[in-house]
Amino acid sequence: MNVYVTDGTEKCFYTAAFAAYADKDCVVTPARRLQLRMGAQVLRVETDEEKSARVLKKVRACDKSAPRDISLILRRGCDGKEMTALGYLRLLVREGGPVRSRLAHPAVIEAMEERRKVTLEAHRFTGFLRFTEGEGGVFYAPFSPDNDVLELILPHFMKRLASQPFVIHDVSRKKAALYNGKDCLLVQTEREVLVPQGEREEFFRNLWQEYYRSVNIAARPHERQMKGYMPVRYWKFLPEKQ
Amino acid sequence: MLDAARLKILTEGAKYDVSCSSSGSARANRAGGLGNAAPAGICHSFTPDGRCISLLKILQSNRCAYNCLYCPNRADADVPRAAATPEEICELTVAFYKRNYIEGLFLSSAVDGSPDATMERMLETVIRLRKVYNFNGYIHLKGIPHADRLLAARAARYVDRMSYNVEFPSEASLKLLAPQKSKESVLLPMKQLALETQARKCEKAERAGGAGRAARAFLPAGQTTQMIVGASPETDGRILRLSEAMYRKFSLKRVYYSAYVPVVRHALLPERCTGLLREHRLYQADWLLRFYGFTAEEIAGDGENLPQDLDPKCAWALKNMHLFPVEINTAPAEMLLRVPGIGNLGAYKIVKARRWGALGYEDLAKMRIVLKRARHFITCGGKFFGSENGETVRTLLALDAREENYEQLSMFSSPETALSAGTGQL
Repeated sequence: MNVYVTDGTEKCFYTAAFAAYADKDCVVTPARRLQLRMGAQVLRVETDEEKSARVLKKVRACDKSAPRDISLILRRGCDGKEMTALGYLRLLVREGGPVRSRLAHPAVIEAMEERRKVTLEAHRFTGFLRFTEGEGGVFYAPFSPDNDVLELILPHFMKRLASQPFVIHDVSRKKAALYNGKDCLLVQTEREVLVPQGEREEFFRNLWQEYYRSVNIAARPHERQMKGYMPVRYWKFLPEKQ
Repeated sequence: MLDAARLKILTEGAKYDVSCSSSGSARANRAGGLGNAAPAGICHSFTPDGRCISLLKILQSNRCAYNCLYCPNRADADVPRAAATPEEICELTVAFYKRNYIEGLFLSSAVDGSPDATMERMLETVIRLRKVYNFNGYIHLKGIPHADRLLAARAARYVDRMSYNVEFPSEASLKLLAPQKSKESVLLPMKQLALETQARKCEKAERAGGAGRAARAFLPAGQTTQMIVGASPETDGRILRLSEAMYRKFSLKRVYYSAYVPVVRHALLPERCTGLLREHRLYQADWLLRFYGFTAEEIAGDGENLPQDLDPKCAWALKNMHLFPVEINTAPAEMLLRVPGIGNLGAYKIVKARRWGALGYEDLAKMRIVLKRARHFITCGGKFFGSENGETVRTLLALDAREENYEQLSMFSSPETALSAGTGQL
């Protein structure tokens, strides 16, 4: 059995898929989580522009929205996403056309489910992200999503808060998007970010907490429903839940 | 700037209005402006009662000239009173919006002074928000009955959605419990706005062919309304007929139902809460009207209430057993939608998937289609997996419905609260 070890990027995945497509009993996995089985042969995959471009071209020829599906699946924050994407890619190439409506096929069920988890979380964070106003007038929003959704929510906020400089910081993946009201830049953040906050920020945070308390109808408690819609793991960055 | 004490009063006065959606509008941000609207709507937080917060729900004022018996803010009530200026509300909305706390503003008001004066003040808030603050987020404005219709028409050019509350399903009840309101004061403005929306649409269609400036947005997210259930004697069948008529005539986006909770004791009002189960069943029936191709007639007779022990679709299916079972691989989509347990998404998945090959029972399970209820009403490739006997099916379905309730009971204090599942937050 071959184990293809990628560096976690999309291009590297496509490079690995070039060889792994026909390699029936193989595993594609990013380098960080490596657990070897007996008799496994490790093949370290180096990104190859030409190979990845060829695979991508083939995928696009089969279904022009498939590259987006695969890219979304690869944003999942759990193990096995490469195998889900590979299963989908294999079916796609074998059929030579779109397979997204084969909703009873196991590979499609799995791919669409994983894809939905990513898009759902991205949608949720368009609501759950919270900005705090720093002293310099820059709004800072830390969050820690399960999946790599920073790039997915960015266009939404660049349209909505077009003239407001902001920083959205994925704390667990240590990357941030910096927006100055015109251009946007993605950076790696190794150190902890501290944004000094003024009285104004605290004033509005208190008002918001007051609002949250007042708008609740205490006679109709339904905490389970609240937690279903707004999982507890997201509460860390919500001022109304502090 | 609005202080916490006034915010509390003005929010608590507005929170019983169940409307919370922020969908239906695609308003774009303008150069140098703040905000836009998301067509699908966005929930920004959830409160411990399970409802979502998407808009800043606030009253312009809770000083009321009207004396509607059921209302906590009625003129006779001894409650703390407060009002906010347009500037204060704008400031708060913008500050919350910039922090991504909210999706926009839901502005309502008690009748402070005259209806016209109240509506004018609300209009001033809205226009200020749009013009001075260049705010392009979502705005839902509550209409004040008896206010001048030109004010409503003017407001409709600035806001995304407007709503007038019908309050009661019949004029007799309205007269009795809300003496200063009348059927016309609510239905006329709704009709007026519906007609104007229609006219703008035609105008826009005409313009699309030729040159000229694009028509300005006019209530892009339409209208909604709300009814109190259980404070007056109308049956569910009557309520659903009224909803159906309003959906048809006024192209309403939603009718909200709110189970009556006694805030005031009065000889004309019932002593007890209306069960939240009734509210839940009405919402289920409402969904059948809007998304499943049912008519009110099919769901409940004019003088009938919805059954409590079964959801309305199950009840309908049991009355029409001669139509079932349907073959999952050949039934038209409209019929799949009528199978208890199969929803919009389920029907869509089945229709897509069966084009690639016959579906069996296991395939449906793999596709995450809930078969607990559906199995009694479908065949897969000619095979039937349910129970033949109509009585047995009825018992099984009722038990399922009760089981759901028991699950919830373990978490909550009273059966009423336990059944509030899923109502009013979509």
